[in-house]
Amino acid sequence: MGTLLQVKDLRTEFHTQDGVVHAVNGVTFHVDEGETLGLVGESGCGKSVSVLSVMRLIPQPPGKIPAGEVMFQGRDLLKVDDEEIRSVRGNKIAMVFQDPMTSLNPVLTINTQISESLELHLGMTKEQARKRAIELLKMVGIPEAEGRIDDYPHQFSGGMRQRVMIAMALSCSPQLLIADEPTTALDVTIQAQIIDIVKRLKRELGMAIIWITHDLGIIAGLADRINVMYAGFVIESASNKEIFANPLHPYTLGLLGSIPRLDAALKSKLTPIEGLPPDLIEMPKGCPFYDRCRHRTEKCANENPPLDLGAVRHWVACWNWQDVQKARSKQ
Amino acid sequence: MAAFVIRRLLWLPILLFFVSLITFALGVYGPGDPIKVLLGIRANPETIERLRHEYGFDQPFHIQYLRYVANALQGNFGYSLVKYRDQPVGGLIAHALPVTIQLNLVAIFLGLGIGVPLGLLAGLKRDTWIDLLIRGLVIAGISLPIIFLNPVLTFIFSRRHDIVLTAANLRFSIGPLLPMVQGYWDGIFSAKVILPAFIESLGIIAVMTRQMRAGMIEVLSEDYIRTARAKGLRERVVIVRHAMRNALIPIATILGLMMGGLVAGSFLVENWFGVPGVGALAFDALFSRDYYITMALVLLIAVAYVLSNLLVDLTYGLLDPRIRKA
Repeated sequence: MGTLLQVKDLRTEFHTQDGVVHAVNGVTFHVDEGETLGLVGESGCGKSVSVLSVMRLIPQPPGKIPAGEVMFQGRDLLKVDDEEIRSVRGNKIAMVFQDPMTSLNPVLTINTQISESLELHLGMTKEQARKRAIELLKMVGIPEAEGRIDDYPHQFSGGMRQRVMIAMALSCSPQLLIADEPTTALDVTIQAQIIDIVKRLKRELGMAIIWITHDLGIIAGLADRINVMYAGFVIESASNKEIFANPLHPYTLGLLGSIPRLDAALKSKLTPIEGLPPDLIEMPKGCPFYDRCRHRTEKCANENPPLDLGAVRHWVACWNWQDVQKARSKQ
Repeated sequence: MAAFVIRRLLWLPILLFFVSLITFALGVYGPGDPIKVLLGIRANPETIERLRHEYGFDQPFHIQYLRYVANALQGNFGYSLVKYRDQPVGGLIAHALPVTIQLNLVAIFLGLGIGVPLGLLAGLKRDTWIDLLIRGLVIAGISLPIIFLNPVLTFIFSRRHDIVLTAANLRFSIGPLLPMVQGYWDGIFSAKVILPAFIESLGIIAVMTRQMRAGMIEVLSEDYIRTARAKGLRERVVIVRHAMRNALIPIATILGLMMGGLVAGSFLVENWFGVPGVGALAFDALFSRDYYITMALVLLIAVAYVLSNLLVDLTYGLLDPRIRKA
């Protein structure tokens, strides 16, 4: 399978009154055709900002992308003109956002909001687009789609709205779907339904997915590969199985230690990661996880480890990953 | 819907009862006396008494009020006591009202036509020099008092039209842009409407600009605007189809509420430019304690505001589907 999207050394910063916020600090990752990549990390680690930068949806100003390369189908999306990036957005790369309650325009009907992509990118007439929009609503499991197509967003529940968002994103059969925490704002049963819909549609349509979440439980059942992000860096990258079976970065280990497990001893407590992520305005010189790390050495304070250490097909940005591995196997 | 309208309209008589009672009481018990204004301060007390009796002002308050209400219900709102002596109030208002409505319509039209695009531009170019300039103009527009603008703008415009100003009676005989002071009005389709309408529209421009700017800034940061951009829509489509409609909802509310103000004229503008409208009539009536005119105008404005509020509530749903079905 070929590479669909290759992001190289992407940097995104925000110029605010308090200083320059370094939200994404040289992120490199790729997505293969038809695969699901999980982007995992806590709030503010740069997950959303990196994918919004890929789509060039960062408001500029205050945002700025001073460096990086986003190769998609032989061109650098950061360099193409506005016309060309618009022909990619919603067409080749589509997005589903976190909060379905606010992501749909309250004064336009569902038909208008789905049809406008179809008319724009596929050149459909209003009638064709309407027919297709009804099919799309059926595809995401909205009952009586014909009767609901002219409704407004406020007439739908949160879960139904997220289905509409998915229908909208998939309307032009994109090669890449970016799902930015699409289930975070939904309750658990609805979360499961949305995940099932996306899994089914992926099987049927074969698009690649970048699924952003802070919930490792969700990503375990979804992703082929997982990138763990911290303070604007990808700090570990491996297959889904590898990450859960053999985490090499102390932060990933910490994340796994803070999820409740059904198979854990009854009285065992969750282990939180002590401390806070670094201030993104004044980034430390060395490893961004230094302050919170149990395996830190002097080298970590001065040199930020690159993401090219680790085992076979398992990359980690930690100088002491072997110590981490040893310490873990002793437990 | 019909039930809603009827319920709202049923409040109208109750409101009118209280408004008329209070206004009438202020007219009767308030300072000043139309008879004295009419006859002058050196009038013979006996003449005053005779006239008071003739007009029924010597009757107890409740008799006067009930007589007024009985007449009003038959469409007779009394007669002018002083300046337009013995002319029916209904007729005076019927003459003044169309003039004021026309002038105000032009003012609102100017206010919308100038304020909305300015606010839109300021909102889109937030914090640039364009935004700062527009905000500065708006503050100037809302801060300069009409009593200052009237002579200054008249002066500026009249210079351009070879003003001939006779100091003796302060009558203007100037270019086609200005109506002459003291009753000279060619209606809505004459160039003379521009200056008074513009001065009246300054406040509206300011309100519309500020609301539109704030509305655009708020709407542009909404998630659904990001969704629209993520679809690959042109920025123009994002703004016109997705942002503007949402930003215009509060504008419609303000506009609807202004409709009530359509019937109330501006004292300062109408008097200065000799526009024979409600504002000029109210000015005369108040200064000569001609309280039947005042009464009728207050009632008229009350009715206009009730109806315009109703109109706002009914049209709101057209712009905002969340309210339509509720």
